[in-house]
Parts: sequence; C-alpha cells; structure tokens
Amino acid sequence: MAWKSVRIEKGSGGWGGPLFITPTAQKHKFIYVTGGNRPKIVDKIEKITGMKAIDGFKTSIPENETALAIVDCGGTLRCGLYPKKGILTVNVMPTGKSGPLQQYITPELYVSAVGEKQVSEVSDNAAATAASSPAASADPEVADADEAKFDTTKPITQQPNKQNFIAKIGIGAGKVVATFNQAAKEAVKTVINTIIPFMAFVALLIGIIQGSGIGKAFAKIMVPLAGNVWGLMILGFICSLPFLSPLLGPGAVIGQIIGTLIGVEIGKGHISPQFALPALFAINTQNGADFIPVGLGLEEAEAKTVEVGVPSVLYSRFINGAPRVFVAWLASFGLYPGK
Amino acid sequence: MQYITGFASWFMNLFQTGGKTFISWMSSIVPVVLLLLVLMNAIIAFLGEDRMNKLAHASSRNVVTRYLILPFLSAFMLGNPMCYTLARFLPEYYKPSYYAAQAQFCHTSNGIFPHINPGELFIWLGVAQGIQKLGLNTMDLAIRYMFVGLVMNFIGGWVTDFTTAYVCKSSGIKLSKEVKLTNKPAESDEKATA
Repeated sequence: MAWKSVRIEKGSGGWGGPLFITPTAQKHKFIYVTGGNRPKIVDKIEKITGMKAIDGFKTSIPENETALAIVDCGGTLRCGLYPKKGILTVNVMPTGKSGPLQQYITPELYVSAVGEKQVSEVSDNAAATAASSPAASADPEVADADEAKFDTTKPITQQPNKQNFIAKIGIGAGKVVATFNQAAKEAVKTVINTIIPFMAFVALLIGIIQGSGIGKAFAKIMVPLAGNVWGLMILGFICSLPFLSPLLGPGAVIGQIIGTLIGVEIGKGHISPQFALPALFAINTQNGADFIPVGLGLEEAEAKTVEVGVPSVLYSRFINGAPRVFVAWLASFGLYPGK
Repeated sequence: MQYITGFASWFMNLFQTGGKTFISWMSSIVPVVLLLLVLMNAIIAFLGEDRMNKLAHASSRNVVTRYLILPFLSAFMLGNPMCYTLARFLPEYYKPSYYAAQAQFCHTSNGIFPHINPGELFIWLGVAQGIQKLGLNTMDLAIRYMFVGLVMNFIGGWVTDFTTAYVCKSSGIKLSKEVKLTNKPAESDEKATA
C-alpha cells in the first residue's frame, strides 16, 4: 500500500508538536472524536496519507490500530485521554496542557489549534525516523478481523457531511469559548509565575525601606535627583553610558527597583507626580542593552550584524538617553495639575 | 527585655508594611492585569501570527513603518521577547535599529497593555504605584508614557541607522540594505507548512 507520511504542526495559539504520522500496515486508520462533525483536516489527512478516517462517535477501532486521534476538546478530558494511551493526538481547539490528564499531554504526542494549513505532506524517509508510537505492540489477526467490520460502517463515515446551521454555531461558539479558556489559563500562569513573585519581592523591599527608616536617608539622595529634570537627566545619562548600560540591563531589575523607590517618594509627596513621566524614561535608558545579542539572534541576524549591532545600539542608547528624559519632561506639563 | 521586644516588633513591622503593600496590589492591580491578559491572549490567538508576518514583510520598506508601526504592533501582538522575531524579514543593516526601537516599545506601551512585558512590569508599576497612592489616575501617565515612547522610540531606531553606519565605517564591515529575495520564498514556504 502506498501510504504517505504527514506532518502536523500547532496553529495560532496552539501547543505542542510537530507530529509526524507514518501509517503502517497495522496502523492505517485514524479516529476523529469531534461530536459527530467532520473537521476539514480529516479529509486532508485522509487525502495525504491514504489512511482511513473513523468517526469515533459512530464506531470505534482498537487502540493499537489507531495511528492518530483527532479531537475538539476544550481542555477537560479527551485532550488527555488519547495521549494517556500513547496515541498521537491532534486537537482542533487551541488547548494546551490542561485537564485532569494533563500530565500525559506532551509535545511528542500532542498538538493543538490545528487547521488545514498546519497539515502538510512529508517525504517518507524524513518521517520514518520521527514516527514512532509507544502503543506499537499488537497482533495482526485482530486487525484483520476488525477491518471487515469497518467496511460496513463506511457509508456512514464517508457520506458527505454537510454542516447544518445549528452545528456551525455550536462549533463556532465552542471554539471561541475554548480560545478564551486557554487565554485565561495562560494569563493565570503569567500572573502566578512572573508578576506575583516580583510583586512579593518589591513589596518586601518597600516594607524594609519604609519600615526601617532607610527610606528617609534614601529620600535625601533621591528627591534632589528625581525631583527635577536635570537630576533625572543625569540619572538617565549614567544609565546609558555604553560601558555601564549592559551591566544595568539584566531582567530590568535595577530599573524596576529604582522605579519603585521613586514611586514610593512620589506616593509620600516628596516628589511631584508630574515627574513620574520623565522618571519612567530616566530609569530605563539602558533598556535592553544586555539583551542585544540575544535579541539580534531572535531577529535571525548574521554574525557580522551582531558584531556591528551591539556597539551600534549601545551608542544609540547613549545618544538618545538623556534627550528622551528631556522630551518626557516637556511632555509632562499639565499632567496632574494642582499637585 | 524591652530592647528585644522593641527590636522584634520593629523587625515584624517591616514585613507588615510590606504585606499591606502586597495585599493592596493583589486586590487592585492583579485582577485588572489578569483580566486584561486574558482578553489580549484571546485576541492574539484569534488574529494569529500569519497576519503579523505578512505585515512585517510589508513594513520593511520605509523608516516610519519600520521603526514605529511594526515594533509597536509587534510588541502588542507578540510581547517580549517574541516580538523581535518579526525583524527576520528586514535587511541585515536595519536589524540593530529595529532592536533598539523594539526593546523600548516593550516598555513604553506596557503601562496601558501590561500583557506586553509582564516580567518587567515594575519599570512602569514601580513609578505608577506612587501615583496610585496619591489617588490620581495612572491612565493619564500611561497614555503620555506611550505617546512620548512612540515618538522617541521611533527616533531611537532612526538614530541607530546612523550609529550603525558609523560602526560599519570604523570596523570595515558592510551590511546589506536589500531585502534578501532568495530568503523570502523560503520563509513563506516554511510558514505555509507551519
């Protein structure tokens, strides 16, 4: 049989993959468990690979014959069920690692937010090494016996499936809900992993500064510096010095701490709130100076571009640093009048 | 004994003061940022990366789209640090300048759209919490932060074109200003299969 391999990647907002599926004599069927509707990728995968699609809501096939499972799970059970059995799983919804079975969802077994665009053909030898599935042990006799059974279901699964109006609305709404649900999961993760830890750290810092009396000493240094435009320009100038800026950059930690300290003084009324604007620019003239090679790497720049780019960006930060603060100061007039 | 008690209550006071600050942030900032993140993540998932890539192709030609519109949208859509990847469509010569502008857009828009750079949110929030404490509206500050950013980040990107020219001249390295046409089909091919 002339089966062909297929490559499936994650779509926009998706997770996991890419998966390579190579049908074999034993595994040449795939199942779609999508509430009775037939996603377009089913047809595409059928066409590319020559495998047979089975509607999981109408009939079932043994696990050891299933090359692939297609689900439309919003993150409860199905998205984890097939990976748990070691079956490669494609989710048409943008669901990540979630649900009670999430520990089984791995990028090797699972890919989500898959549409037609994400399904593509690959040459056989490229995929041969990549395609492997843990559930590969089975006896062929069973497979043959089952095959006969499926022919009787063929008319049902292969009849042209016109989606009716109600089904379309249902699927659309399901997709919207799943996308928002996934967005919420990611947002909670971001808040817990990055925002709250930093908040705890800064809150502790504020507690120590305000509670211990360091704040008073600090205010003596900070207020004259951050309370007028020249002081802020000097601060910005220092932060932008090309030999200093890469050292001040990492994680923007120093900028965040100085910003918090200035914020505390503004809150106490020692510094006029209008100066918040130039201060935001002054504490960050070193912005990204440590990250230049990595950032240029993400831009897929060539080695010689990085060689030129690092000093070039450092120089431009230096040239722009203090003027940015000055412009921000000009723009701060009329901000919070009467304070 | 008095000294020990005094020291202990002073010591605990540090954490109580910090704790009060923390809880006030948890109840005022966290819910807003969280819900905003949910919406932004959803919008980004709906729009998709493909459209951004198309935009990046189209924006490489002139200064305004290159250092103003593209980095602004890229920060909004992809956030830090993925926003830098859009510059892969630019000619080599302009990549450092794009970086210079993009890194700053990851901060100046962060006041209004904290989903852009949640890891470094306190550059903005550190200063803004003082404003909040005074009972003033931080949005006034956030909007001016963004607009001054739009102008100055653009200028920052543009100025880097000249510093790049200077570094090229002094080091003798030449960088291409042309969009690599051979790269284009390969890129879009990769995207099609992606």
